[in-house]
Amino acid sequence: MSPYAQDYLDKVLLTYFGEPTEMVAWDKLPLNMHYAQGTVQDGSGRQLSLELSEPHTAIPEGTEVLWMGGNLAGQPSSWIKTWNEEKHLATLEMPLASNPDEGTPVILGPGEILADGRMLYAEHCQHCHGVTGDGMGPTAPYLNPKPRDYRRGIFKFTTTQSSKKASRHDLKNVIENGVPGTYMPSFKLLTEEESTAITEYVMWLAMRGEVEYQLIRLLGDGYSLEAIADRTEDGSETATEIQNEFLESVNDPDSFPAEVDSIVSRLANDWESSQEEASEVRPLTPRVPYSKESIAKGRALYLKDSLKCAQCHGEAGFGDGSQTLAVSKDEAGQDNVGLGLYDTWGNHVKPRNLHTGIYRGGRRPIDLYSRLYAGIKGTPMPAFSTTLLRRSNPEDPNSEMTDEDIWHLVNYIYSVPFEDVQAGSESQAVDPAPASDDPTENEVAAK
Amino acid sequence: MKWFWCLFFAFWPTLTVALCLASPGLGWWFPGEAASPLGQRIDDLFYLILIICTIAFIGTQAGLAYVLFRGAYDTEPEAVTKKAWHSHGSHELEVIWSVIPAIVLLFIAFYQMDVWAEYRVKSAFPRDKMETALKRVNQKRTTKDSLALAEVTARQFEWLIRYPGFNDDGTLKPLMKDPQPTDLYAVNDLHLPASAPVMINLRTMDVQHSFFLPELRIKQDAVPGLTIPIWLEANKQQTYQLLCAELCGWGHYKMKARFVAESDENFIEYLRQLEREQNEDRVDDEPEPSDE
Repeated sequence: MSPYAQDYLDKVLLTYFGEPTEMVAWDKLPLNMHYAQGTVQDGSGRQLSLELSEPHTAIPEGTEVLWMGGNLAGQPSSWIKTWNEEKHLATLEMPLASNPDEGTPVILGPGEILADGRMLYAEHCQHCHGVTGDGMGPTAPYLNPKPRDYRRGIFKFTTTQSSKKASRHDLKNVIENGVPGTYMPSFKLLTEEESTAITEYVMWLAMRGEVEYQLIRLLGDGYSLEAIADRTEDGSETATEIQNEFLESVNDPDSFPAEVDSIVSRLANDWESSQEEASEVRPLTPRVPYSKESIAKGRALYLKDSLKCAQCHGEAGFGDGSQTLAVSKDEAGQDNVGLGLYDTWGNHVKPRNLHTGIYRGGRRPIDLYSRLYAGIKGTPMPAFSTTLLRRSNPEDPNSEMTDEDIWHLVNYIYSVPFEDVQAGSESQAVDPAPASDDPTENEVAAK
Repeated sequence: MKWFWCLFFAFWPTLTVALCLASPGLGWWFPGEAASPLGQRIDDLFYLILIICTIAFIGTQAGLAYVLFRGAYDTEPEAVTKKAWHSHGSHELEVIWSVIPAIVLLFIAFYQMDVWAEYRVKSAFPRDKMETALKRVNQKRTTKDSLALAEVTARQFEWLIRYPGFNDDGTLKPLMKDPQPTDLYAVNDLHLPASAPVMINLRTMDVQHSFFLPELRIKQDAVPGLTIPIWLEANKQQTYQLLCAELCGWGHYKMKARFVAESDENFIEYLRQLEREQNEDRVDDEPEPSDE
């Protein structure tokens, strides 16, 4: 990037996101940054009755009340001494200078959730995921798989449609339950407020990183050092002319500023729509009961050429399919350096060995269903909802796969760790049997 | 200067004893009373050993102070000057201060054996009481099945818990050595019935960890390759801390979990809740699901 383009990029990020220690509360971002927002119902002396938007987080002592309009707009903030949640009544530390008008908009604890999230992130997450969420914290070099780089706004294990981003619920689920089989541990003992704060901060980092990534692509198009070298090579343009053109674009509200606005709006919309209920993966039919027949059907689907499951996961499900030894392409269409499969972040990935019984995105049927239906974002695991028609009418002959088929596959995947010879065959033991006839073999006494 | 050193060496043991006496009131002692019958017996043993050590400590420090002050006094100008007395030792004294501690140690070794056996020797586990507890939660089991109600597997840096699932008739299956399709899983959240001796199987997936319930005075290393049975009994229905007491890697400090001791009904309800969550297919709660 040319120095002036880099300066502009830094300035945009600093203006709209600030720094981790001095964050900017940018209302355009669809984040729950404040403890609560609401309007004044009544206020005099040290008492303030508020109507708050729901849901809101707990309001602790010392919460700032920021006046957003009315006769107190621009006045210094007030601070809450005690808060009555039932009556939504605040007792302030100091008496009000004047009585606020009814309906005066207020923000309680402006930006506090993000500030809390930053502290918790620094305590629990930063040493793996890095200060900027780039997945390059000091512990990251020793971990395999690598910690997530949030800056592309892509999270692997979600229960949202393939074209959508992660929902808050998905991120919270990962924080609460960890990612089995990786170094991401469970943070179940965090309070609801704490995991909310971390979730919002992680989303903030993801949005900041994605804006930066999109701006680099935008500015790099004509103003990277390579682009400038190309443009000046034939002598038709000089470096000074290019710089002047850049500065003109920066100062023209219809040019770069409009582009930045458009990037951020698109990104905000993407995140916002991903939180809606319609973005969730919802099966049309309930889970097919776990039975030998269903497992056998799932096994047949698994081996079907058009679904290509075995090409990655191997015929027996050991994660050793032919694709693990093939040359794959990266996002730019170039061959990857090594054989096998790579994710969006350029990391070599292995298809899951289904015999381990470890499901990184969760072991609920809906989790496995989501993996099959919407894929694993950022990895070569495809979304079957986009490659195959989803047959709402089971009699539709144009569809290769139905909801029930996905459930058969889910049942087959569940059965793999327990199969004796071949899943779905008569020899498979589905019912649990005592591990050993000799009970002492089940336990080892430490004598 | 010699009086300074006499006071210096007498001051620290005095301060140590004073601090030890004050520490229970300052909350520097155990995390509350032992919350299990076995824990109370372990505490009793601890206090017995502490009393023996305190007597020995005060005795030896008083002896040291006497020798220091006496020696310093003897070199004062006004004191009757004594010549230094050299000795090659006393066999009688050597025998006395070897035999007395040996007797004390042997006494402790034999005295604690019952508690140790009950805690760690499997044949001394309160098996009958454990079986009664399993009956209380209506678990169908044969004499071949494990007495354990859950398997706790430590891994960097969390506690994975595996419970048996339910039979078709609603009774609790026995816990199998190997994972079963019907098993129920939780992480960092161990629930077991209170007021009854219950057993868990402890394992580790990677390095050595240590299963530590400080309030119950239970601590057991989890050793790779071994499945170690531990029994425990919480006196009250409440939430306790579950920690890792073995430095197991950079995230050791994160390896915190909760142990919830609850009524039999709540324990079964918790397992039912896990079963519901585990079988969640997002269909029933949405009568008309949206399509993409």
